[in-house]
Amino acid sequence: MNPVNVNREPVLAPDLAARVSRVGLVLAVLGLGAGFALGAAEGDNLRHFFWAYLVGFAFFFTFTLGGLFFVLVQHVTGAKWSVSVRRMGEFAMNTVPALGIMAIPLLYPLLTNAGREEFGGLLWPWVQPHGEHADLVAMKEPFLNVPFFIGRMVFYLLVWWLMARFFMKRSLQQDTDRDPAYAPTIAMRKLSAPGIIVFALTLSFASFDWLMSTAPEWFSTIFGVYIFAGCVLTIHAWLVISSVFLQKQGYMKKEVNAEHYHDLGKFMTAFTVFWAYIAFSQFMLIWYANLPEETGFFHSRTTEAWKTMSYLLIVTNFFVPFFGFLSRHVKRKPKMLAMWAVYVLIVHWLDLYWLVMPSMSPESNPFGLIEVATTIGAFGLFLWAFARQGVRHSVLAYGDPKLGDCLAHENY
Amino acid sequence: MSNNSSAELHGIIAEYHTVEEILAAAETVREAGYTRWDCHTPMPVHGLDRAMGVRETRLPWVVLIAGLTGGGLGVLMQWWMNAIDYNYRISGKPDWSLPANIPVAFETTVLFAAFAAFFAMWIANGLPRWFNPLSRNARFARATDDRFFVAIQASDPMFDQDATAAMLSSSGAHAVETVEEPDETSRPPAVFRGAVWSLVSLAMLPLFLVAMARYNTSDKPRVHLVPDMDFAKRIKAQAVSDLFADGRGTRPPVAGTFALEDMEAVGADPAYYTGKLGDSFVTDFPLEVTPELMQRGQERFGIYCAVCHGDDGRGKGMVAQRAAVLSPATWVAPTDLHTQPVVDLASGQLFDSISNGVRNMPGYSSQISYQDRWAIVLYTRALQRSQAASAQDIPEGVNLR
Ligand code: HEC
Repeated sequence: MNPVNVNREPVLAPDLAARVSRVGLVLAVLGLGAGFALGAAEGDNLRHFFWAYLVGFAFFFTFTLGGLFFVLVQHVTGAKWSVSVRRMGEFAMNTVPALGIMAIPLLYPLLTNAGREEFGGLLWPWVQPHGEHADLVAMKEPFLNVPFFIGRMVFYLLVWWLMARFFMKRSLQQDTDRDPAYAPTIAMRKLSAPGIIVFALTLSFASFDWLMSTAPEWFSTIFGVYIFAGCVLTIHAWLVISSVFLQKQGYMKKEVNAEHYHDLGKFMTAFTVFWAYIAFSQFMLIWYANLPEETGFFHSRTTEAWKTMSYLLIVTNFFVPFFGFLSRHVKRKPKMLAMWAVYVLIVHWLDLYWLVMPSMSPESNPFGLIEVATTIGAFGLFLWAFARQGVRHSVLAYGDPKLGDCLAHENY
Repeated sequence: MSNNSSAELHGIIAEYHTVEEILAAAETVREAGYTRWDCHTPMPVHGLDRAMGVRETRLPWVVLIAGLTGGGLGVLMQWWMNAIDYNYRISGKPDWSLPANIPVAFETTVLFAAFAAFFAMWIANGLPRWFNPLSRNARFARATDDRFFVAIQASDPMFDQDATAAMLSSSGAHAVETVEEPDETSRPPAVFRGAVWSLVSLAMLPLFLVAMARYNTSDKPRVHLVPDMDFAKRIKAQAVSDLFADGRGTRPPVAGTFALEDMEAVGADPAYYTGKLGDSFVTDFPLEVTPELMQRGQERFGIYCAVCHGDDGRGKGMVAQRAAVLSPATWVAPTDLHTQPVVDLASGQLFDSISNGVRNMPGYSSQISYQDRWAIVLYTRALQRSQAASAQDIPEGVNLR
């Protein structure tokens, strides 16, 4: 509670950042390369590879969008507690260009003829409606058609890129300009409210497009919120991991303390519950109404090959982390919290895997090296784009006027 | 320092001006070994608990246990209601199915946890209490404004008026004062007590009225709280209505009505679509009898018919039981499907009863497809057979116990 003398010095870690981003690049090349090689070896026209790639892509995308949401919500609420970790959130949101690079290969399954006859498409089965429900899927053609789909994809990425740039630029201006009228701070605050609306809509529709349309005859309006829950969990876990890592390397020792970890932990607890709440809301309405066009999704996931995994997810993604995070002591011990954060990222990935893969292979769980490799690759690409920014920029938003409040922050 | 020896001593308070002072003082008092004392501050002071040596609160455990209890009881309650007390199949779900219980269990979890937190806080803080002697001290009023206080109670085993006061003075207090127990009793004033008692009695009134109404009969019309809902302008199915010349609320379809799409089909296979050939009901079953069809019939019977006729067809379904209690005068009991006249009905006539209803029973043609209606006929036949079985029906080699 003593007023903290704010020492407005940048925290620069260019060598560390360069090293981490190199590791990221190596992981990306090796992971995606190995995934591709394994996929090509399966001789299924890369079908399995592309589905696994989509899971990795979704994993990457939840980091970026989680970062964007984190930054937006700090500005819209005028949050003080988070200033010292916000720059890491900004780094995460500012990985949109790399996400765009990762989206390019996804054009292949949209444009090639391979797999159209048999599966309706290599990846998204609506590319050419086929099979039992072809007529239903065909009716969605005005929305689910290749040119419009690609257009939307470009649109989402463009919007996110513009938003990320806007907030990144203003945040850096706070550091260097020290404008006594706080122009960049106010600009960010103003744009954050409409920004959240744009975020909500684009995230929701991107989730519909990229993930939900892997089961094109199915629909759930809450689906975007479900993905959103994963994004928020992911970014808080990631902030914990990066802060603990930086501190271990000797940076930001004072700037991030037990109080900040405590708050990050609270958000992970809250969003663990939120995830369960949304997941159950989605399930219960469909289960109760029992309408044929809605139940397919859960039917394939709660019978035969996927049954065990579905029930397991309830335990791994809700009960374990919920009781794990419940205690105040866990949230205030950085190393322990970081271990839980890694756990959260792993189970979040399992969740994405469970959302996507049963649509490719309802009869059997195809889990194998190929999923692991592509996901490591996707994560590596994210890590590269994330850490590269640390080479040029301070990892602390040291010019934010609320930094002093942040450092003095205490939980009651 | 006032020192009025006539009144009983409640304790000693010491006043401080800053957060640093109160933190230092709290440490001094703690180190001196006092146990019955407290700090009063105008705003939450970080680190005060530590300085005072306050044990970590056990409230979270209370809340956790209460929450788990609430969740458990929520599930238990619904299990008992759905599977034991009033087991009633709803939209083909099992009598007791967990997913349907989760929202309620979630609410009971929150309810129990919130109440436990609320009342445990009362207990932990010694509430409810009419007033605190400290609030009689003029100086102490600034504890809600800009001053910090340490208050040590006279009941503390370490308490010694002079030594304690000296200790507080040396801890940097700006003022040290004794606080007496008030002369008056600490009972609330009579007006207040009167008001509480009248409120409590008034609150009982509705309960008495409800209890009275339950055990008395009255010839007055009942009270209608929402008249336009109780007397909605509508025509009840099967009820009389003066809107139509024939007085029937339910309008029969115009003679010879068929759904357009069925017209051709009906012409091509009247036995299947109407249960009739010419004017007489068919006696053969128009479909191939398969185990699947039988199962389908059993399932549909369970969904559409069992509510009235009962799972066993004896007319003791849940709706029938309720209706017999609620309106014994007007309710016509569902027919026992095992009576000889029903057993002797032609299959086509059974089909016709399901399609178009019979006397007081409504028709189900709008809900049940043709094939399902035949499946129900088939299952009804099996049900009738099962209830009229004799020893000869038992396959050879099966042991009777
Ligand atoms: C809403 C309650 C209700 C439901 C549901 C119901 N019934 Fe009935 N059923 C009755 C009543 C009441 C009667 C007696 C009508 C009378 O005698 O006026 C009856 C009579 C019958 C009869 C005797 C007909 C006769 O000619 O004597 C048969 C057979 C029958 N029901 C079969 C069914 C079948 C099959 C179903 C399921 C499709 C069904 N019922 C669903 C209430 C119901």
